[in-house]
Amino acid sequence: MANFIIRTAQPNDVCDILRLIKELAKFEEMEEQVILTEKDLLEDGFGDQPFYHCLVVDVPKEKQTSEGHTVIAFAMYYFTYDPWIGKLLYLEDFFVMPEFRGFGIGSEILKVLSETAVRTRCSSMHFIVAENNTKSIEFYKRRGAADLSSEEGWRLFAIDKEELLKMATK
Amino acid sequence: MNFTIRAATKVDCKDISRMIMELALFEKMTDQVKISSEELERDGFCPNPLFECLVAEVPKENKSKEAVSLHVPLGFTTVGYGLYFYTYSTWKGRSMYLEDLYVMPEFRGFGIGKGLLSTVAKCKALFVQVAKEKHCARLQLSVLDWNAPSRDFYATRGAQDLTVKEGWHLIRFDGQSLDDLGNDAQKK
Repeated sequence: MANFIIRTAQPNDVCDILRLIKELAKFEEMEEQVILTEKDLLEDGFGDQPFYHCLVVDVPKEKQTSEGHTVIAFAMYYFTYDPWIGKLLYLEDFFVMPEFRGFGIGSEILKVLSETAVRTRCSSMHFIVAENNTKSIEFYKRRGAADLSSEEGWRLFAIDKEELLKMATK
Repeated sequence: MNFTIRAATKVDCKDISRMIMELALFEKMTDQVKISSEELERDGFCPNPLFECLVAEVPKENKSKEAVSLHVPLGFTTVGYGLYFYTYSTWKGRSMYLEDLYVMPEFRGFGIGKGLLSTVAKCKALFVQVAKEKHCARLQLSVLDWNAPSRDFYATRGAQDLTVKEGWHLIRFDGQSLDDLGNDAQKK
């Protein structure tokens, strides 16, 4: 696959972004957990203060998917803060459609993300991976990533909306 | 023990920086702390802040008496903090991440930690109003696996351990590996 273009997502990409979000969730066997809508993505990503930034990957029309899509990969990120080292780039989602893998698209996306991280004075790029996703873990480890859960013992916790409301109203 | 919880201001950054180091000492990772109060001031109190912070204060008559670490004087009235920022879930939308929650050891057991966490949860509720009925879907945080008291603190408030339950691992690229990625060099 010689031709693909990585670019910043535009408002009219939200339909493709949501489609790819759902495909990734399906792969993670959690498709029913996606409650986000195109409207949410538009308001949250393209308003005055975006909550996320997104890269998308285009292929030429002659390479489009069987359903006629030319946007075949995306990466969503935002900036977070570590009180020990400062600004970080957090990679929330990163997905290349299966039929477009093996052509260097994932590697190129990571390259653009890391250039973005350095340019925006981030010390580090963080993200999470499911431990049974051994292919992805190997992909990142080959490129020098550290697994902080295994190496330092960090566990991710989540408190959901109902529990937060209970705490907020106490 | 009387205490108040309020939004941090720029002048609090020296106390926050002190407590960040105290928390790092507890987590046995002080060598990883690279930034100081100046960076906190720059990053937290600029036009587009990278984080928000709450601090817990006690009256002067209850100021700190126990040394948390060597070389640090006593007599502090800022005794706890909670540092958080907004994130985004591609499944649920706007979310929050509680990066640090800390109460100095001699001030524990009085509800300050609970108060800080509830106030962060309320910020989420305030955020709901600001965002015109749009909900902040969840609050996430990380805890070290050996830190059983903290794990219990969060578990009793409904937190789920997603690393144990769903197998999520936190991955990091930094320093040379981040530079190499940008230069497209693969480690063999």
